[in-house]
Amino acid sequence: MMSFLEVFQYTRQDSAVHNLDPRSKMMLAFTLAVISLLFLNIIPLMIILMAMLPLLAAAKSLRRWARSMKGMSYLLLFIIIFNTLLSTVSNPFSHSIALAIRLLALMTSFSIFFLTVHPDQLAQALIQMRVRFEFAFAMSMAMRYVPTLGQEAYAIMDAQKARGVELDKGNVLKRIRNIVPIIVPLIIVSIRRALSVAESMESRGFGASENRTYMELLRFRRRDWAVLFVSILLLVGSIYTRLFVTLPIWMLFQLPF
Amino acid sequence: MALVEFADFSFKYLGADSLALRKVSASVNEGEYVVITGPSGCGKTTLCRTANGLVPHFHRGYIAGNVFIDGQNTRDATVAKLASTVGLVFQNPANQLVTLNVEKELAFGPENLGVVPEEVRQRVEEIIDLLNLEHLREKHPHEMSGGEQQRVAMGATLALKPKVLVADEPTSNLDPRSAELILDIIANLNKRNGMTVILVEHRLDLVAKDASRIILMDKGQIIADGIPRDVLSMDISSEIGVGIPKATQVYKRLQAKGIELSRVPLTGEELALLVGEAKRR
Ligand SMILES: Nc1ncnc2c1ncn2[C@@H]1O[C@H](COP(=O)(O)OP(=O)(O)OP(=O)(O)O)[C@@H](O)[C@H]1O
Ligand SMILES: [Mg+2]
Repeated sequence: MMSFLEVFQYTRQDSAVHNLDPRSKMMLAFTLAVISLLFLNIIPLMIILMAMLPLLAAAKSLRRWARSMKGMSYLLLFIIIFNTLLSTVSNPFSHSIALAIRLLALMTSFSIFFLTVHPDQLAQALIQMRVRFEFAFAMSMAMRYVPTLGQEAYAIMDAQKARGVELDKGNVLKRIRNIVPIIVPLIIVSIRRALSVAESMESRGFGASENRTYMELLRFRRRDWAVLFVSILLLVGSIYTRLFVTLPIWMLFQLPF
Repeated sequence: MALVEFADFSFKYLGADSLALRKVSASVNEGEYVVITGPSGCGKTTLCRTANGLVPHFHRGYIAGNVFIDGQNTRDATVAKLASTVGLVFQNPANQLVTLNVEKELAFGPENLGVVPEEVRQRVEEIIDLLNLEHLREKHPHEMSGGEQQRVAMGATLALKPKVLVADEPTSNLDPRSAELILDIIANLNKRNGMTVILVEHRLDLVAKDASRIILMDKGQIIADGIPRDVLSMDISSEIGVGIPKATQVYKRLQAKGIELSRVPLTGEELALLVGEAKRR
């Protein structure tokens, strides 16, 4: 059901897009997202969406993207139906379609970033963008311990079931109450773990030196400058177009209802 | 002065009702391999924490006496400052791996201390070679077995180039084979690289033969301290119930029956040899 979230999950690949600096990709994704927010007509939004497909193909992730979008089709259908029924604009169906395409375009622009940037690289990018090391590291540690926490939750669930707690019985209220014997031990275990992790980090000099070094720094290469330059150009161009240029009639095409 | 020196050190955790360490005095010289053992709750972990300043800087409490590490009093030196002198390896491997791949993990310590990038890279490669981690290089902690995780955790500590390696039951969460591998690595570090080692371990049958000294603790005190053969053949060792090697136990039974072997055996082979000798006599 949540399979569409896969487009935001890093996949290891060797591709031109993966090898770009995360900072240039950040700018690219930001630009694409802003452009999708600037327009609300079917044709321009379609153009933007289509323009992103070659990027996904270059990232060798087109199939993954397609699969996730299929997973999202119900959600889209839902949005379109409800919007059409509840909207007060003159062509509600056309408007809803445009909204759905905009959502797709937004998701795709962010997925180009998250699909191709390892959490470590993201942390490193943030650090080199002057975010404090502690914050960036906290983020990467969250990624590190999410699976561990999941395992722990399952272990606790099993233990409680073995002791006779019936987790999946009863009405909604009862089920919500059933979460308590899972959550409480989970919190206690996590606090203990956090202490032990902190002990280990402290022992290895965490926060010791004001001038922490990094084994590998991200480097902006010529292609990164190119991506950055093109992104800025696109961004400025589309903002200008939106504000001062009247789009040709065919671009403003709407469905008749 | 010895590399590690406990001088009448006592410690009580904040909120605890009894002392975790009472008047502990001991010293460890360079190149030694000291095994610490004793029943649960006797203060072994606390002693390890004391060696790198986690006690009293991270775990607060009441202290008396002093601990000197390479000449520095741990009351004055921070944990971070001691990190390049004393490397601590803990019991639970998963809690010691805080990054998303092995290379980053090995680099974490040196980076924290501000070592220049080229040298960090060099140390990482050395450790990967030393501990055979090549195939794990890019792995997420979740993709590794407990034994592999502990090997990486040890590597991450060694990357700080400490003078003393302190390991607190590094094998207690591992299967027997991984445990032996870890203990072999530690013994080799001591033998080949001359690394000073302090190891907390219950399975004395696996470590007694390599150790140069055994310290026996009970209720926060050191109750015996000497070469393995002496400590293990003392009556007090069997009284408080430490894991005395089978060969040494047989030695004691034979002695009770009036059969005296020429020395205390620590392994099966040694025992067989000594029994053979005694028979010929
Ligand atoms: N963080 C803490 N806060 C309060 N008391 C503690 C803390 N850690 C340990 N203690 C207490 O200090 C004493 C010594 O504990 P320590 O963990 O050093 O024993 P240990 O020999 O390592 O035991 P084990 O073999 O079970 O690991 C115990 O009585 C324990 O309850
Ligand atoms: Mg302990």
